[in-house]
Amino acid sequence: MNALTVLYDPTCGLCRRAHEWLTQQPKLVELNFVPCSSEEARKRYPELNHALTQQDLTVVGDAGAVYFGPKAWLMVLWALARYREWSYRLATAELLPTTKKVVSAISQNRYQISRMTGLSS
Amino acid sequence: MSNELTNEIANGSGITFYTYLIYLAISIALTVWVARTLHKNGRVFLVDVFHGNEALADSVNHLLVVGFYLINFGYVSLALQLGYNVVTAQASIEALSVKVGMVLLVLGGMHFFNLLIFSRMRRRTNRVNAPPPVVPDQFTPVREG
Repeated sequence: MNALTVLYDPTCGLCRRAHEWLTQQPKLVELNFVPCSSEEARKRYPELNHALTQQDLTVVGDAGAVYFGPKAWLMVLWALARYREWSYRLATAELLPTTKKVVSAISQNRYQISRMTGLSS
Repeated sequence: MSNELTNEIANGSGITFYTYLIYLAISIALTVWVARTLHKNGRVFLVDVFHGNEALADSVNHLLVVGFYLINFGYVSLALQLGYNVVTAQASIEALSVKVGMVLLVLGGMHFFNLLIFSRMRRRTNRVNAPPPVVPDQFTPVREG
């Protein structure tokens, strides 16, 4: 795998801030950012369930492997040179349930978090 | 017997001198042995780390051994002084055991530190080609362009 396409939510401040941070990180795998459910996303992945990508972060590999939610977060971590080790640690059988819980909680409350931290504008 | 030699034996500085000599001989021999072991067996690791680039592996290996020698001989030199005169053969062996023991511990510490560096370097290169942490949820056709 040489590149990952990140389908992110452009209407959420937290997601945009995360996007900015990610563009500055050294990467082991190229990351392309495409707003979820956008025309570009639909053109690239005609058979993907785009309603689902609006609910949670989605990452698609260059060969079409799709990762939803917590798995998508782990794939983004895996792409970063400084955090690849963490992606394995958080994906172990002991930590994966906690990872999923924390990530889902952040995802579901991303608008509230953005508002509370002043990132919503 | 000359006067000076009698004096030396009387105040024990002769035994002190030989204790220093034996200490240096043992320490230098040990350092050379450990450095050679490191040099010989560390090469395989480094060749793997540098993806078969043997010239680079040999170069780094040599530089590591030079650092190893410098630190160890530095320690051996600094730790040489006993601070008292050794009068008996028993005291000489006791002094030697302490000094050589310290050299061995420093050598051991340095050796494990080198092993740590080797394994770190190896893990770092393995990581670059490591597979994803999770399996995909599904596959979707990709339309390029």
